[in-house]
Amino acid sequence: MLKILIPSMFMLLTTWTSPFKQLWSTILMYSFLVATLSLTWLAMPTDTGWFYINNYMAYDPLSSPLLVLTCWLLPLMIIASQNHLAVEPENRQRTYISLLISLQIFLILAFSATEMIMFYVMFEATLIPTLIIITRWGNQMERLNAGTYFLFYTLAGSLPLLVALLIYHSSMGSLSYLSLTSLPLTCSNLYADKLWWMACLLAFLVKMPLYGVHLWLPKAHVEAPIAGSMVLAAVLLKLGGYGMMRIMIILDPLTKELSYPFIILALWGVIMTGSICLRQTDLKSLIAYSSVSHMGLVAAGILIQTPWGFTGALILMIAHGLTSSALFCLANTNYERTHSRTIILARGLQMVLPLMATWWFLASLANLALPPLPNLMGEIMIITSLFNWSFYTLILTGLGTLITASYSLYMFLLTQRGPIPHHLILLEPSHTREHLLLALHLLPLLLLIAKPELVWGWTA
Amino acid sequence: LLFAMGLGTTITFASSHWLLAWMGLEINTLAILPLMCQSHHPRAVEATIKYFLTQATAAAMLLFASITNAWITGQWNLEFMSYSLPTTLVTVALALKIGLAPLHAWMPEVLQGLDLTTGLILSTWQKLAPFCLLLQINPSNTSLLLILGLASTLVGGWGGLNQNQLRKILAYSSIAHLGWMILVLQFFPSLTLLTLFMYFVMTFSLFISFKVNNSTTINSLSMSWSKTPIISSMVPFILLSLGGLPPLSGFMPKWLILQELTKQSLAPLATLAALSALLSLYFYLRISYAMTLTMSPNTLLNALPWRLPSNQHTLPLAITT
Repeated sequence: MLKILIPSMFMLLTTWTSPFKQLWSTILMYSFLVATLSLTWLAMPTDTGWFYINNYMAYDPLSSPLLVLTCWLLPLMIIASQNHLAVEPENRQRTYISLLISLQIFLILAFSATEMIMFYVMFEATLIPTLIIITRWGNQMERLNAGTYFLFYTLAGSLPLLVALLIYHSSMGSLSYLSLTSLPLTCSNLYADKLWWMACLLAFLVKMPLYGVHLWLPKAHVEAPIAGSMVLAAVLLKLGGYGMMRIMIILDPLTKELSYPFIILALWGVIMTGSICLRQTDLKSLIAYSSVSHMGLVAAGILIQTPWGFTGALILMIAHGLTSSALFCLANTNYERTHSRTIILARGLQMVLPLMATWWFLASLANLALPPLPNLMGEIMIITSLFNWSFYTLILTGLGTLITASYSLYMFLLTQRGPIPHHLILLEPSHTREHLLLALHLLPLLLLIAKPELVWGWTA
Repeated sequence: LLFAMGLGTTITFASSHWLLAWMGLEINTLAILPLMCQSHHPRAVEATIKYFLTQATAAAMLLFASITNAWITGQWNLEFMSYSLPTTLVTVALALKIGLAPLHAWMPEVLQGLDLTTGLILSTWQKLAPFCLLLQINPSNTSLLLILGLASTLVGGWGGLNQNQLRKILAYSSIAHLGWMILVLQFFPSLTLLTLFMYFVMTFSLFISFKVNNSTTINSLSMSWSKTPIISSMVPFILLSLGGLPPLSGFMPKWLILQELTKQSLAPLATLAALSALLSLYFYLRISYAMTLTMSPNTLLNALPWRLPSNQHTLPLAITT
């Protein structure tokens, strides 16, 4: 573990001391090295699962896929940001890269934390680099508003979490994950305990996001620069899911009755946000709402608290991370050429950029959960466990799957097929860098078809 | 003059007799008055007069409380205040002196009238003496302290939302932080000192940064990226630290205070205080937007010298605890 963390910290030093001409290549090679080394985490020889690095950091089958995703994403973010940062002065480029690297360090610490307070501190710490990336390097004026929404929604949810964790600590004595399973809170029907349950979960539900409190997500995703969108969609949302999975252990007796409205809200959100996607004119906004939709399924799966639900949620998180990030990269290729996010201004791309159309096709198919991709595996597992809980959820989830398929296909057809608009005179051919970026996104997804046990979590 | 101020605070520190403590506070007040109206601007003079009136009232109330205590218990010692009436009076008097809500109304206007350095002295040094007294008496009136504390955090947050004058914003931030300090006073006094110290460091850096940019409104901060880029890039961290975001140092006092409050089963209060910190975070965020995260379109016609005097203050703040 330290092999990964210490090099990441020193990557910050490298950013500031490399000669400028070799900055991007050096950082890229360095981060690829770190990402490859992080793949060793996936090897799980023991049965109990927990690997201790020291008293405060450990990883287990739940956190190792997310850790690998985080490490894998850094080189991808660097590849993606190269173009739009090329015009900036040198120090700003270095600052941007430092922000991305510091974000990765915080994420590694968050996913490998053994104490809930450390997880909380790192959870909040990831907000600061993301806020700076969105508000400083975003492209439109609304980015300030987006940053404010992002920060305040997340903080308003997570400050009660801090108080709730402190309450638990003062009554139970320890917040270490390792002992959480043996110290569940006794079932009680006091109103205050229900508030405590709510406080524990609210932060993660806002981060996921759950449908009712999802307002920050489209704003933040749309206004962020490409690396910001990528990391937000791929990893930061998963922090919410991961936290929820960790804290479910101690919330157990209360969750049976209290989670009912949230499961319904999540499922309703799947349908609602899917329908919104069908009417979007803004490409990034479409992908953002599809993120809300998928994470609604994840939230429902986690709240069900069955092994299949957890497994499905984890697989869907990983698969959605890769897919969503790939879609944002594709949207960025459009944006860099037309400087507009409106879909109808960049249609008929299959005629002009056929190789990119392949990637659009694969990413759209992944989004609509085509077999045998892991997206489908996750969705089917969650839908099955929801069906086990109640027959009627099948209506909602079935409808949700239908709408997901239709908007993914809609997005593909609208951008690729049809006549090219007349005003597109100058479109650069696709860069090799962009092809590499998308290949690196979709290749792990395809490889996961072969060995999904890597991301299954505890159920083997 | 500065010597007299230092003398005043030191006398209050070293005193165990109420009369001596009161004298120290009075010397403190009198010494800072000429410093405050140095510029002879009408607003500075007005601020000086307001400050004098409030501090004199507070000192008189303090003297009255200590005489009441002496009348009841027969001794003048600071530590032995066992009756609720004098203790409450002393607490209220000291609250007026440092500017806790609901006795905070003088603070924004007074700070606005001063220039940045004197404002700095007012918000940091002047708080030391009353806090030393507050820590030595044992305030037994729990609900009073909690009301003062919570009201201060809320007022500090809400009041600062509509401001764009930096000194008023700093006044409201001072009120909010003092609220946090008072909340934990009776449970764990060392935390009060910790919060006070952290607040001093952060406010000191902030005041100095504003002084370097010679700016007193948010709008005038927007040019700082060209004058002193390093300070411009560090100030968001100071501001977010004041707002209490982990992993910056400003989170540490908030976290420990919340821990102490939950241990004392005051969890709803803890939640309210934490959420009110969000209010003040909003205007800190606004300042950092103006200063660092956006670039104003005017080009700079003159190159100002790069003075980086307070770099060493900004760096420790950005490091995690």
